[in-house]
Amino acid sequence: MQVSMVLGPVLLMLVVLLFVTYAILFERKVLGWIQNRPGPNRVGPWGLLQTVADVLKLLIKEDVVPRKADASLFKFAPVIAFVPAFAVLAVIPFTDTLKFSDFAVGLLYYMAISSITIIGIMAGSWASNNKYALLGGMRSAAQMISYEIPLVMSVVGIIMTVGSLNLEEIVRAQKDVWFIFPQFVGFIVFLIASVSELNRTPFDLPEAESELVAGYFVEYSGFRFAFFMLAEYVYVFAMASLTTVLFLGGWNAPFGLTFIPPIIWFAVKFVAIVFFLFWLRGTMPRIRVDQLMQFAWKVLLPLAIFNIFLTALFKELPVIGNWY
Amino acid sequence: MLGLVKGLAITLKNMTKPRVTHRYPDEPLPMPDRFRGIQHFDPEKCIVCNQCARICPTDCITLTGKKNPDPEKKGKVIDTYDINFETCILCDLCTEVCPTEAVVMTNNYELAVYSRDELFKNLEWLHANNTHIRSENSMNLLPGGKKQ
Repeated sequence: MQVSMVLGPVLLMLVVLLFVTYAILFERKVLGWIQNRPGPNRVGPWGLLQTVADVLKLLIKEDVVPRKADASLFKFAPVIAFVPAFAVLAVIPFTDTLKFSDFAVGLLYYMAISSITIIGIMAGSWASNNKYALLGGMRSAAQMISYEIPLVMSVVGIIMTVGSLNLEEIVRAQKDVWFIFPQFVGFIVFLIASVSELNRTPFDLPEAESELVAGYFVEYSGFRFAFFMLAEYVYVFAMASLTTVLFLGGWNAPFGLTFIPPIIWFAVKFVAIVFFLFWLRGTMPRIRVDQLMQFAWKVLLPLAIFNIFLTALFKELPVIGNWY
Repeated sequence: MLGLVKGLAITLKNMTKPRVTHRYPDEPLPMPDRFRGIQHFDPEKCIVCNQCARICPTDCITLTGKKNPDPEKKGKVIDTYDINFETCILCDLCTEVCPTEAVVMTNNYELAVYSRDELFKNLEWLHANNTHIRSENSMNLLPGGKKQ
C-alpha cells in the first residue's frame, strides 16, 4: 500500500472542503451582485471568513435527536447521504495524470453511486418521525429518481460516440471537438437534469420552505444538518466536474492553447459551470411540483431519447458521421 | 424557451450595476431635518417648569430641581434630568412644550445597547448629545456660544 493511496483522498477531501467553503461564499456574493447589494462582507476581508463563521456556529449548536425518532437511523442518514457524494469523485479525471482511478465503467459507477444519496435522504426523513419531513423526503425521492432517468439517457449519445464508459477515454475523444457541439441536445438535457439532481433552484423542491418547513431535514440541527448541506455542495463539485469531463472536453485546451497547464483548463471550465449554477439560482423562481414531474417525463425524457436516436442516425451519415 | 435566456441576460447585466445598499454601520445615514431622534438637553436653559415631564405620554422623563444657589435670583435650577429610552416613543411633545427650548430633538438615532440599564440616559449624557440638532433649534446658541 502506497502512501499516496492514503494521502490522496485526504488531500482531495481538503480540496473539496475548501471548495465547499468558498463556493457558498461565492454563491452568496454572486446572488448579492445580481440583487445589487454587496453580499457578505463583515467577517474577514471581503467576507472571506463568513462561511467559516457560519460552520462554526452550526457546529456549536445543540444536537437534537427527536425523542420518538429512530435514533440510530436518524444519526446514520446524513452519513449515507454524504459518503456517495465523496465516493463519486474517485472516477473523475482532473487531468491525464491527476486522477484516482482508471475505471472501465467510470460513468456507470458515478451514476450508480450518486443515486445512493436518495436512500440517505429517505432514511433521514423517515427516521425523523415527522409527517412533514416524510412528505419532503418522498418528494425529494420522487424528484431525484425522475430526473436520474433523463440524466443517464442524455449521456448515452456520448457513450455511443466514444464506445466506452471510461471517463478518460471520453475526454480523449474530445481532443478536436468538444461534445457540447455534436451533443448539444444531450448537453441541455444533462444540464437541466443535473441541476435537478443537485436540488438547486429552480428545482429545489426538497427544501421548499413555504410548503414543507424545510423538507426532509426539518428535524435535523447543527452538525447533522451541516452534513446534508455538505453533501449537496460536494455534489455541486462532482456534477460540475462531470459536466466538464463529458461535454466541455475536460482538460483539453481549446484553440491549441496548450501552453496553459491542463489543470488550469479543467478549473476554468469547472468554475464556469459552478458560476452558471449560481447565476441560474439568481434568475429562476422555484418550479411547481406538478410542472416538475411533467417536465421530467414529458419533455426531458423524450428529448434524451430523441438525442440517442439522432446520434445513431448521424453516426451512419457519410460526412457528419466523422464527428460522431 | 427564449424567455429563460432573456431572464439570464437580465441577471447577468444586473451584476455590473452599482449597489443600491447603504454602508450603514460604516457610514451612518444622514436623517432629514424634521427627524425625531434622541433629545439634547441644555441644563442652563431649563427653568424646572416640569411641563415636559407632565406632557410625556409614556412618563419616561423624570426631573428634580433645587433652589437657585445664588440667593439673589428667584426660581429653581435643574438638578437631575433623566429620559428612559426603554419607553420613550420620540413623540417630540416634550420639545414642543418646552418654553425655553432646553430640551430639543437631534437627528441621532443610535440607541442599540447590550443592557436595558444603559437606555436610562441622564442629564450629562443628554447634554453631551449635542450633534445634529434640528436647525430651527440650533438658531439658539449652544453652550459656549456656538452655532450648530
